[in-house]
Amino acid sequence: MKWTKLAKMMLISTMTLSVMAACSNQGDESEGTPKKTSAEEANSNTTPPDPLGKYPETVTVTQVLGYNPPEDPRTPQGITPEQNAYFKDLKDMLNIEVQYKWTVPSSQFEQKFSLAMASADLPDIMELDQKNFEKLKKQDMLADLTQAYNDFASPALKKYMESDGGFAMKTFTSDGKLLAIPGFEDPFLSTQLLWIRKDWLDNLKLQPPKTMDELEQVARAFVQQDPDQNDKNDTYGIAMQKNLFFWGFDLRGFFNGFGAYPSIGDNQSAWIKDDSGKLIPGLIQPEVKTALGELQSWYKEGILDKEFALKDENKSVEDITAGKVGISYGEWWYPNWPLNLNVDKDPKADWIALQIPGLDGPGKSMVPKIRSNKLVVVNKKMKNPEAAIKMINFYIEMGNKKYMDQNKAEKGYVYNWFNPRIYNPAQIETIYTEVNKALDANQTEITLDDENYKNVADVFKAAKDYLAGNTANASKGVNWGQYFSRAAKDGGWGMTRQIKENQAYVNNEFYGLPTATQVEKGSQLDKLMQETFTKIVMGASLDEFDKFVQSWKSLGGDQITQEVNDWYGQQGAK
Amino acid sequence: MRTLKKEYLLHLMLLPGVIVTLIYAYGPMAGLVMAFQQFEPLAGFFRSDFVGFDNFRYVFELPDFKQVLWNTIVISVFKMVLFLLVPLILALLLNEVTRRWFSRFIQSAIFLPFFLSWTVLGGVIIELFSLNGPVNGLLGALHMEPIMFMLDNNWFRGIVIGSDVWKGMGYNMIVMLAAITGIHATLYEAAEVDGAGRWKQMIHITLPGMAPILILLGVLSLGGILNAGFEQILIMYNPTVYEGADIIDTFVYRLGMFSQQFGPAAAVGFFKSVISLALVAVTYYAAYKYNNYRIF
Repeated sequence: MKWTKLAKMMLISTMTLSVMAACSNQGDESEGTPKKTSAEEANSNTTPPDPLGKYPETVTVTQVLGYNPPEDPRTPQGITPEQNAYFKDLKDMLNIEVQYKWTVPSSQFEQKFSLAMASADLPDIMELDQKNFEKLKKQDMLADLTQAYNDFASPALKKYMESDGGFAMKTFTSDGKLLAIPGFEDPFLSTQLLWIRKDWLDNLKLQPPKTMDELEQVARAFVQQDPDQNDKNDTYGIAMQKNLFFWGFDLRGFFNGFGAYPSIGDNQSAWIKDDSGKLIPGLIQPEVKTALGELQSWYKEGILDKEFALKDENKSVEDITAGKVGISYGEWWYPNWPLNLNVDKDPKADWIALQIPGLDGPGKSMVPKIRSNKLVVVNKKMKNPEAAIKMINFYIEMGNKKYMDQNKAEKGYVYNWFNPRIYNPAQIETIYTEVNKALDANQTEITLDDENYKNVADVFKAAKDYLAGNTANASKGVNWGQYFSRAAKDGGWGMTRQIKENQAYVNNEFYGLPTATQVEKGSQLDKLMQETFTKIVMGASLDEFDKFVQSWKSLGGDQITQEVNDWYGQQGAK
Repeated sequence: MRTLKKEYLLHLMLLPGVIVTLIYAYGPMAGLVMAFQQFEPLAGFFRSDFVGFDNFRYVFELPDFKQVLWNTIVISVFKMVLFLLVPLILALLLNEVTRRWFSRFIQSAIFLPFFLSWTVLGGVIIELFSLNGPVNGLLGALHMEPIMFMLDNNWFRGIVIGSDVWKGMGYNMIVMLAAITGIHATLYEAAEVDGAGRWKQMIHITLPGMAPILILLGVLSLGGILNAGFEQILIMYNPTVYEGADIIDTFVYRLGMFSQQFGPAAAVGFFKSVISLALVAVTYYAAYKYNNYRIF
């Protein structure tokens, strides 16, 4: 009898389990819907709008956050995003309170946010990528920010937005409604560099590699000849992880070296111009096959980690920090993280930045035309859309000199947890020129005094400390990381500037919003690419690539190519 | 009617269970309409467009679907068979152990992994079978070539099946041990009088005595033939072994979560449920017909 009942329940639950899983998202549709009060309420104030005006009554703003660990090792241990010291100032200055609906490590953010979208449980202020922007726009979920921006944007924010002639803002305006404040940056920040350990090169009496062949020799030597001279066979050639194209520790630069331009970091393919002036997907060009063939032989030889396909970016960072690998492709910011960790662990470590090696002589990195990864948007249901603009103003304002004593990592200010954050699009260039000006003139203080002050002064101080060998304020790695990523003439940004000047780059020609087929078929195609490329590297026949090209085309790739070219045609007509 | 009057108290006691079932098992079935819609979450059920069987057609025509379906069936059939066989052997062996403390200890040890979550265990198993892990260390000590277990389609499937059986076998084993205890001692005594040894007793008394439970467990597990262990595979797999280990659930997960194609994802879920229902019905009928065994 007991069995009968139990079995009944179990049967029912087995049968409906998948149904339940598919539907459980629906439950809380009505939740998280603030009561809609009149929007005029906020505007009925007769006082002229003040970009940093304090609300008479506390305004609570909901947000969500995917967070990385604080970048600065001086940050208090165990601090949580809710304890971010920025929030205290935000409350004091603007009377805005931030409430997180949820916070997750950034690796889980995409998933979690999809779920939030599926259950229509969205926060007031969000940072979106273009794909999600398209979706929410289609659903008419985004507030019109035109009024809020015109009334409340601080002079600094307006200056940033207009620095590209209003181009980015126009991209995200539809029917005369500004739907997002785009956070765009210098596209050259995406330039691929080759980071390599100079001390290992010196140990083995090797020259910095300029061509792929030289790189291969160096990488092989780094595997076989004990570059760290610890008499142990514990090093491998090039940092790599399961995502061949990613935001770091990936192989974009490697492919670029072969004149192959498969991706700009997300798995979607990149677009280059062919001879007839049409756009073609870089992912399926024959150069990619050549590069894959090379990777395959490197894998076989042990230059690559045998189990790279099991590793994520965190594992790569661990290997770099532990001194197991001395070559990695990546962007300008590597010294700031994670190379600084390696420098702190091993004081002998000396990383340098090189232009990526190519087939004969240095190669050309791929650079996007616009770098705008995040869009600040406001939920249509929010009653104070201007709060978002004010918060952006607030973050920019906090960069001024008068907040310097307060705004420090050790006091719990974690800048990369604060959203929404819009940067000066020329921020890195400002830092580079101002710091170098001050260093060259042997100044003790920088002269600049505007909202960029903190950013410039921080790097300047670190540079001074590093060059003087002073570790009273921060460790050698931290100082070096700040200096070598942003200010050093042969460092991350310094090298990037040279590449920009020499025009040693290839543009990703497509910079529109993701096309309909990209949104729909994208992940299917990504899976196909991931699976095929990983297998080829691990030893499958190179002919698999040709099969891949065929499948890619028929599974939606051709359609995407068409859509991208349609866009390109319109773009040309503009 | 009269019985209802007499037993109303019993029916009343059943009511909470019925209500819970209605809310949590039948209510969500309304969501099945998603499978026939171009579902837009923010528009909801009522404002999404109906597209008939387009979602089903779309999914079945995806080139991966056949592979995924095959993987699911292979993995789950292996798991189902082993989930009956291994616990059965364990239960029979344990039944022969006469020292109470020893059999208790073994029971607990076998049951223990059942309580660990795959989130934890998955990481442990990946490490265990990695190139620098203990398993390869052992192979090295035996002068064998190291094997990349987690990146090899054949090995990976085996590890998925093996580790799941290892983790879950304790549960069925306990159920079976309970069934063995339920067999009358008089039967054994009679058999002993007739001169049957331990082996004969097992074949002719223990196994037939357990048959109803074995059938029940088998029938129940058949309904889950398209459940090959979502959580476990999601945590353990990687692109290299998609070919051998991508199952319906992980496939739907990527479809729903990353492409946000809720319609097609719901269609696959629906498809799964229909197959399961059919299988349960058939096996139940068979069990009834040939063994006169009834659940309801």
